[in-house]
Amino acid sequence: MKHILSLGSPRTASWAAPALLATLAALFITPVVIGDAFVYHVFVTICIFAALSTAWNIVGGFAGQLSLGHAIFYGIGAYAGVILMNMGISPWLGMFVGAAFAALAAVVISYPCFRLHGPFFALATIAFLEVFRVLALHFRDLTGGATGLMIPIKMGWEWMVFRERLPSLIIAFGMLLLCLAVAQWIRSGKLGYYLVATRERESAAKAAGVRTVQVRLIAVAISAALASMVGTFHAMYLTFIEPSSMFSLSFSIQIAMFALIGGIGTVYGPLLGALLLVPLTELARGWLGAEALGLHGFVYGVMLVLAVLFMPNGIMGVLHRYLQKDDEDEETGQTQAAPVAAVPRAEPEHKMGPEILRVENLDKHFGGLHVTKDVSFNLREGEILGMIGPNGAGKTTLFNMLSGFLQPDSGKVTVSDSAGNFSAPVSPADFASIGVGRTFQIVQPFAAMTVEENIMVGAFYRHPDVNDAREAARETAHRMGLGPWLNAEANGLTIGGLKRLEVARVMAMEPRILLLDEVMAGINQTDVRRAIDLMLSIRDTGVSIIAIEHVMQAVMSLSDRVIVLNSGEIVAEGDPQEVVRDPHVIEAYLGKGFADANS
Amino acid sequence: METFIQVVVNGLMLGGLFAIISIGLTMIFGIIKIVNFAHGEFLMAGMFLTWLFTTKLGLHPYAAVVVVAPALFVLGGVTQKLLIQPLMNARDEHIQIFATVGLSTAMINLALLIYGADIANTPAYGLRTPLEFGPIRVLEGQLFILGAAILLVIGMELFLRRSRTGLAIRAVAQNRTAAQLMGINVNWIYVLSFGLGAACVGMASVLVAPLYPTSSNIGTYFVLIAFVVVILGGWGSIPGAFVGAMVIGLIDSLSGFYIGADLREAVVFGVFLVILILRPSGLFGSKQKLSHIS
Repeated sequence: MKHILSLGSPRTASWAAPALLATLAALFITPVVIGDAFVYHVFVTICIFAALSTAWNIVGGFAGQLSLGHAIFYGIGAYAGVILMNMGISPWLGMFVGAAFAALAAVVISYPCFRLHGPFFALATIAFLEVFRVLALHFRDLTGGATGLMIPIKMGWEWMVFRERLPSLIIAFGMLLLCLAVAQWIRSGKLGYYLVATRERESAAKAAGVRTVQVRLIAVAISAALASMVGTFHAMYLTFIEPSSMFSLSFSIQIAMFALIGGIGTVYGPLLGALLLVPLTELARGWLGAEALGLHGFVYGVMLVLAVLFMPNGIMGVLHRYLQKDDEDEETGQTQAAPVAAVPRAEPEHKMGPEILRVENLDKHFGGLHVTKDVSFNLREGEILGMIGPNGAGKTTLFNMLSGFLQPDSGKVTVSDSAGNFSAPVSPADFASIGVGRTFQIVQPFAAMTVEENIMVGAFYRHPDVNDAREAARETAHRMGLGPWLNAEANGLTIGGLKRLEVARVMAMEPRILLLDEVMAGINQTDVRRAIDLMLSIRDTGVSIIAIEHVMQAVMSLSDRVIVLNSGEIVAEGDPQEVVRDPHVIEAYLGKGFADANS
Repeated sequence: METFIQVVVNGLMLGGLFAIISIGLTMIFGIIKIVNFAHGEFLMAGMFLTWLFTTKLGLHPYAAVVVVAPALFVLGGVTQKLLIQPLMNARDEHIQIFATVGLSTAMINLALLIYGADIANTPAYGLRTPLEFGPIRVLEGQLFILGAAILLVIGMELFLRRSRTGLAIRAVAQNRTAAQLMGINVNWIYVLSFGLGAACVGMASVLVAPLYPTSSNIGTYFVLIAFVVVILGGWGSIPGAFVGAMVIGLIDSLSGFYIGADLREAVVFGVFLVILILRPSGLFGSKQKLSHIS
């Protein structure tokens, strides 16, 4: 699922746009020129499947929630259209009624299911699909039950039903364009970045201020509404609908399959997949007829198996590989920007402001384990607070409570906003919005994104516009010395680079309080010195920092104050020099014997 | 009252059926951590084999087990070796889902190509004869299924807990890397486990075939029920699957009688969704490890 951002970002190959336009034009012009009824049918079907698959991809690809029940929304659209048409309401209106119902159903279904991952989400969507099918069979009065529903014989644009073929193609093609446009719009905007970030690393996305549930619900609603609109039209095109073909599992699988084969998570992959596979089906049906019962399905299944084995990134992935080969020459010619050294710090006696964060009597149990015991401290504006303690002392758990990832059993965390009013945020999103940013001890890059795009996810917090966010991300990257790697995949960075990326992403959110969890662990001496300078320069911009750190060199030279945590309790607090001489601290690190021997 | 008892007995018989088709699924998941979406098609393949064996050779369907179980073992092992193994380290889960979904699609349609849309009736050899216990009636074949399900659960548990191979399998299930360090050939254990899971399906298919007509899409119905059962029983737990199967059998039978035959599926899947969402680790499964944020 790499290279997802290749289209819609400035790195788009020069031939991509013309190739896309040519493909779309051919899709429309070919049947018109040939003029054969069967060819028309094949192309209408391609448009419909490509549109459905593109809509599916918003959820299945961008958001990474593998739905195998998308026929639910298609079916809702189809039934809404036909039922309303039987009541004398035009499908052009019915289409929107269906879309509204589908979006609602999607939100209601997905909200509880988002806690499920991978195969379990897929299973839940299959189960919902079965429930819809059974209900459609049961409520005969509304749906006609197993006998199905016919559309009344009304022709013309008003009713979406035509004797000639061209108008159907125009509508199908229009729907495809609509779906592609929506997908492109989502993908290249803030929502798309948020969706991919959520898919790649949910907790890191939350820390970057993404309301992960909300963005996925939006995606699901949009996807369902689009699928439903296509469903309405397809019902008019088929003229007859019944539960087992509308709410069909194999139909849902097909929609998803086109996206996978074309390139899951890319905007135009689903179109390519449908373009390649639909004609195969329709031709097999047209030429071989009933003899070939099961043939196209068999081919689909085999193609799907071969695709996951040999080209998991789909056709788009293969295309991208060729495209990269072309690009390599250009890139080597590029001059590498010299890493920007941290700006030498002016040495003013920095002043600490008023209290900005209050931690009062935090208690947390994990089962029988008392992880934090009655922890209280505060943080002042512009202060660097070092937090040390042996492994298992509860430092990271404390951080999780200071950023909303864990709720304390008792006690509270209050943060002052920029006006100085204290409030108690609850969720990670609340903490982000009041200006608390955090990094993760185990780095959490968004693997499918470049360095620049990773930082943009943070930058969107202050700059909703893509171009502004990109600008801010670049600036932050240069400040963090990540400038030369802007277009590199985040995965390819060294551990030092990844740690800096963590800091850069959170810095792009322009937090007022920064929680740094072992950003210096495992990096080399030069990097440690640069990181120290970096943190001081961040502090000088007025940001308050709490840093968990094991690198004593950094703790001693950075911290205005140090807190020592052991077994969930604060055992010492104060000036760094004094703290390291404290017998309690020595005992915590080296054991009672050592403390006694030294005394 | 008699009707109620009959409905409950029907539910238990149905439970036996659901149990025997679910054991392989839960076992494969428990060890390899793969949800085999083609599980139902394995059953379908086994049922077609049973049908061929019975009609062509004129033997009792239960005798087919000597052919069907090994055949399914091979099918399972080959699936693991050629399809799942290369994808074990895939970064995205969707790849593994699509792999077995693709296999399922291919198998359904292959059966459709070979046998057409007609149903194949395996000769019943008296297994569809009702036996009467006072007012209660059950089919002979149903009793065999229930008995076989109980034996299979006990047998698999003994194998996994008492034998050396079973110990290795459980070690791999718990921690693949550590098992490898202990000198266990992990890939072979995976092939073996998938094969064994599939062989369980093979056993199920010879028992099911005389009672249910075989068709290319028979697996779809059964696999959905099997998913429900396995979720309810806790993924990977074989005794859990048995209990889950009994619960689902009862729900199916009772709702079919008291709510309406056409809505019983909706009730079953409704229960499934509630369990999946509220308690994803199942009614009897141990609580899954909470994702750790660090």
